[in-house]
Amino acid sequence: MPPRRTNDDYMGGQSDSDVSMLDEDELTSRVKAKGKGKATEGRKGDKGKSKVKEQPYAWEASYTRTWETVQEDEAGSLHTAVRDLIAKGRRRRLLAPAEAVRRTIIRHLILVLDLSSSMMDRDMRPTRFDLMLQYAREFIAEWFDQNPLGQIGIVGMRGGIGERIGEMSGNPQDVLRSIAERHKLEPVGEPSLQNAIEMARSSMSHLPTNSSREITIIFGSLTTCDPGNIHDTLDECVKDKIRISLVALAAEMKICRELCVKTGGQFGVALNEGHFKDLLFELIPPPAQRALTRANGPGAANPAADLIMMGFPTRLPVTSQPSLCVCHGELKSEGFLCPRCLAKVCDVPTDCDICGLMIVSSPHLARSYHHLFPVKPYTPITNLDDATSLSATCYGCSVPFQEKVLQPNVPLVDGISPLGRYRCPECEHDFCTECDVFIHDVLHCCPGCGK
Amino acid sequence: MDNASHLGVVLDLSPKQWHLAAQPSNPHPITLVASLSHLLAFLNAHIACKDENSLALFGALPGKSVMLYSSTMPVNEEEIQPADANTYRPFKVMDSTIMKHIVSEVEALGEPEVEEPIGFVGALTKAMCYINRVTNGSTSSTSRNDDLATLPDPRILVISVSPDQSSSYIPVMNLIFSAQKLKVTIDVCKIFGGESVFLQQAAHLTGGSYIDIDRPDAILQYLMMSFLPPPGLRQLISVPTQDKIDFRAACFCHKNIVDIGFVCSVCLSIFCQPVPVCSTCRTKFPIKTLQRLNASRPNAAPGSAGTPARSSTPARTATPAISANSLPRSTSINPAAVPRVVSNGSAPATSSPMQNGEPR
Repeated sequence: MPPRRTNDDYMGGQSDSDVSMLDEDELTSRVKAKGKGKATEGRKGDKGKSKVKEQPYAWEASYTRTWETVQEDEAGSLHTAVRDLIAKGRRRRLLAPAEAVRRTIIRHLILVLDLSSSMMDRDMRPTRFDLMLQYAREFIAEWFDQNPLGQIGIVGMRGGIGERIGEMSGNPQDVLRSIAERHKLEPVGEPSLQNAIEMARSSMSHLPTNSSREITIIFGSLTTCDPGNIHDTLDECVKDKIRISLVALAAEMKICRELCVKTGGQFGVALNEGHFKDLLFELIPPPAQRALTRANGPGAANPAADLIMMGFPTRLPVTSQPSLCVCHGELKSEGFLCPRCLAKVCDVPTDCDICGLMIVSSPHLARSYHHLFPVKPYTPITNLDDATSLSATCYGCSVPFQEKVLQPNVPLVDGISPLGRYRCPECEHDFCTECDVFIHDVLHCCPGCGK
Repeated sequence: MDNASHLGVVLDLSPKQWHLAAQPSNPHPITLVASLSHLLAFLNAHIACKDENSLALFGALPGKSVMLYSSTMPVNEEEIQPADANTYRPFKVMDSTIMKHIVSEVEALGEPEVEEPIGFVGALTKAMCYINRVTNGSTSSTSRNDDLATLPDPRILVISVSPDQSSSYIPVMNLIFSAQKLKVTIDVCKIFGGESVFLQQAAHLTGGSYIDIDRPDAILQYLMMSFLPPPGLRQLISVPTQDKIDFRAACFCHKNIVDIGFVCSVCLSIFCQPVPVCSTCRTKFPIKTLQRLNASRPNAAPGSAGTPARSSTPARTATPAISANSLPRSTSINPAAVPRVVSNGSAPATSSPMQNGEPR
């Protein structure tokens, strides 16, 4: 794939200050350490543009010698080396900042899909369009898994207009069904960012302040065909506290970055298929509520805190008498009864179609608790000094630890234990790499401490 | 249906509860030794079903959890008694390994004055870690990966004799969600110790079955008929399911069951009436919200804040009328399914990261 990224900020930065050699070196080492060219992924700087790092074009950055980091093990296989690379990448995600951040639990997201003719480009296999659909489905499934109280709506951009593809819904099946049929989404014409954003904004205008409003755009085109001034739309979004994040497939556009930076979202340009997925999936964990706090000024201590009325429904068993549901009008025996108006809905969590009460079941609330009580990161064990007290097997899966050091010459980086041994700071049991990642990514529960 | 299956068994080994279960005053007393012999027969049957079937047995002991047996465990040949003409050797090896481990673990317990809480969460977590390890197939010893990597049907059987510990609500819920993610079915066999709401939810949410055994002296029959078929076969074989699982929540303030609750948007604590300050995370709520919510409360009498019981009256009276119509529960073994409280109680309040009101 030819390098197709441009970087407006880089050009801007060049004009007013020279990039010093020191910066260049630091940058190079950073790129090297990351191992993956995330050079163009501009994070939102607190002060906007001035803090966005100037970064070189991909072909100007010193290349990463990925093949040198791959080493064969004694059997001549690359298996362990590749696994270590994967483990390293996943562990890095675990070592995210540990300070207390308030996250938005109740999220509302409009996913804007580019359905313009530029999505038929084949620079991503099989086409940008097919890849986008596939990742969008995975994104939705994973998003609902992590944000059980959230809702997603889908808007498409094609033929110069915004097109409502899926209504805002809290049911993953509904959302997935709306983008299930590929032939209905066939890309055509020009995209219109303004129309799509206006449509997304209007469908979120009724939401209460304690829920987040987000727009995530997957954008493959290099043009946008707007009826008016898109900057007005941007200002409206800032006023409505809508956070816009955008994943561009082609190249960076000034307006795209501006949309994200001004609304506190994330912006990224996908380098390849894997990077596209990474960028998209970075948007899944609940965002910290920084933007809101700043918007309200330091005086407002808890800007978005609110008391929400929720209904806990009665579940009807399969053997109950069939009746019509209010959401689809179908005859069903299973369902949930809204505690306020006794309407029967098919699935929770949802907003009652009759009285608008938010209906959840207690497991849905519990599903969010792991964001509130995360497992403490384990400390990597770097040497076997007190070898007598060490257990021979992983406390989680009972697989024996390897005795010898994996890569003796590699210094400690990224909190990777050369022994593949990680210790819980609370219960002081040792875990292997796999269990460490599994416990923090999936289980959210330490086998030793039991919490 | 030709897939091999992996069975993780979590065995509750609480001495106190087993002692209570064996009391002759019970209608059907059962001792640990007797039920272990039933369990071993069941485990042998699981291994015998298919050559590739694998097994892992975890014990929950007071204050800790141990792995008692796994199919991949190296066999210590010297400790196995000489071959017996009447027993299939792999069964014998397995049985004696399990019994030896249980005996040594139980003897190591000593006789403490007060029994520590049972390490049930730890045992279940370990079972999940083991399943993750086995199904991912990328263990460090690469030789046995290839056959184990094709394991499609992991499931967990929980044999429980202890009542719920309210402190383990959040870990158990987390485990349930990770089991859903890994497509692990959790079956529950409740021998003694009353109904367990957590385990009922675990079985329901993962598509397993929860069976409260009426005749503990016939466990083997329950095990064989309900828990031996792998999840793939369950559609063909009618396995008892639960009809009544109550997913209503209890408020944190009075521990009442609520139909309509008021939830803090920051920490998701549930209250039965609008409160100005969240008792869990000390978040202050805007006064306008309070007024609005008080005004919109269902049949809240003007002037009175309304007791929680009153606010939920209409829905409560209506509910039984509907479920009463639908009560021919022929498939349910558990007749005593009374709506129960999800006792998530004060669990979040006791945890530390909420101190400054800024949980992650």
